[in-house]
Amino acid sequence: MTRAFIHTAVPLLAAMLVAGRAAAQQIDPRLERLDAATRPAVLALVDSARRDLLPTEPLVQRALEGATKRASGDVIVAAVRRLAVDLGHARQALGSTASPAELSAGAAALHAGASQTTLAELRHVRGEPLIVPLAVLADLVASGVPVDSAAAAVLSLARRARDADLVEFRRAVERDIALGAPPAAATAAAATAQSVDVNAGARQQRPGRP
Amino acid sequence: MGIHSVGTSDAALVRRVRTGDTGAYADLVARYRDRLGRYALHMLGNREDAEEVLQDAFVRAYRSLARCDDPERFGAWLYGILVNRCRTGGARAARRARRFVHDPAALETAPLAGPDGRAEWDDTVRWALARLPTESREAFLLKHVEELEYEDMARLTGAGISALKMRVKRAREQLQAMLKEAERV
Amino acid sequence: MFDPVDDLIERIARHLQRPVQIDPALDGRVMREITALPTPGGATALGRAWRWLRRRHQLTLTPLGGLAAAAALAVVVFLSRMDRTPSPAPRAESRAFQFVLVAPRATRISLVGDFNDWDATRTPMRRAGSEALWTAVVPLAPGRYHYAFLVDGSRWLADPSAPVARDEDYGAPSSVVTVGAGGGDS
Repeated sequence: MTRAFIHTAVPLLAAMLVAGRAAAQQIDPRLERLDAATRPAVLALVDSARRDLLPTEPLVQRALEGATKRASGDVIVAAVRRLAVDLGHARQALGSTASPAELSAGAAALHAGASQTTLAELRHVRGEPLIVPLAVLADLVASGVPVDSAAAAVLSLARRARDADLVEFRRAVERDIALGAPPAAATAAAATAQSVDVNAGARQQRPGRP
Repeated sequence: MGIHSVGTSDAALVRRVRTGDTGAYADLVARYRDRLGRYALHMLGNREDAEEVLQDAFVRAYRSLARCDDPERFGAWLYGILVNRCRTGGARAARRARRFVHDPAALETAPLAGPDGRAEWDDTVRWALARLPTESREAFLLKHVEELEYEDMARLTGAGISALKMRVKRAREQLQAMLKEAERV
Repeated sequence: MFDPVDDLIERIARHLQRPVQIDPALDGRVMREITALPTPGGATALGRAWRWLRRRHQLTLTPLGGLAAAAALAVVVFLSRMDRTPSPAPRAESRAFQFVLVAPRATRISLVGDFNDWDATRTPMRRAGSEALWTAVVPLAPGRYHYAFLVDGSRWLADPSAPVARDEDYGAPSSVVTVGAGGGDS
């Protein structure tokens, strides 16, 4: 009985393990667009992320973007690797319950120069989905706002501002920068103004009188 | 930039928007952009604020399009929204001007200190208009530039006809006083 | 009779009546904002009824009629308190977003981004109403997406009305759209 069990169960278990591993390594057909030299390296990064329970779709999209824009293989691999690292750091900061969308936004903020401490603080003060606050943080830095100023402003607003308020804040900063204001000053001023509006309650959005 | 549906009435476009054809709203925006932009520009004094307010007005109009009871008069209805937004936009612009006193762009578009010396007519008019109180400037533009009747102005602004006539009269007197000196140079 | 004041005002008015050219890119910004909004719909019977309700009316009621109305109100209040089942939290789901670009001289434009695998054949843009306006509609779930416009098959263009996607890797410009869990975009 024992021998029969071993002869049946072990091969069965082995087959299951092999099948599982094969499924994990199943090639995403979209990655066929990568050249033969680049594909294995990207696949390895995607597999590694999957094993670490990180979202893989952002990595695939990053590779596809590189392929469409005709970047060289090593540039694509470096970009995907960098994103995978940022996703891991975002998860460390935001917690294991962070959604894939939050992790992507968090990775963007880290890539822009925000610290893991800032991300963790944001989670602490706000709690709810952080997609928009993290995106606003990354977008402000991309607009030229020093990362410390951007982080301080977003953190100060995150406690009470709704997503729509944060978006409006970002637009106000970008408008003022376009008018020639120094980015840090524009950020501080807009954060102060937004804070006043948030504290006074949501602005009524009424259509004009016909 | 060409507009394909130049022959299509406002009412027809509004009806199409209400059935989900957002592309028809693009036609309405293109149709009214410059005309309403002229009022916003003269009211607020600079292009950035005018475009921001104009964009806001178009979005609010879309949002409340179900409340446009007479789509044939969509333009007038939209105008009312814009007049209202210009009042808010002007207040916001004033706050921003106070924050960035060292903003060179703001200084370039600021009104002249006074009509001393030779000045181009355009600069002079813009300067004088900017110095009018907001209500007077609004009434002057609606009456003399947009050429509205007082009844329509009352509907747009919510002010009484007597008050509007007084504001227009005051604006004329102030402009005349300011520009009398400039004309002599 | 010549009135110098009238003449001056007339000159000012004529000057201010000169046509003004507003940046046509404003059209794209407007269209981009409204794509996140529901279709405005027509003046419905409900809307007309609501406006009728808001207007003042004179109502005559007998004492018996008043008592009946009060009783009916009490029943409604009682029944409404019986139903306290909280509604389930809404799931995050895709919403349609319209991308708009003003490009009068282009012959073909593709919208390319994270939402269509950067496949330039997947989402061709179409002209919408005017010669210069190009649009495309894409369903987006909450998240952050990089995208760009590919003009005439060779030129990459970022969206002038959207935040820049910081990218030191691939060289070509991109933009970002962020869809919050509530469905709004930034």
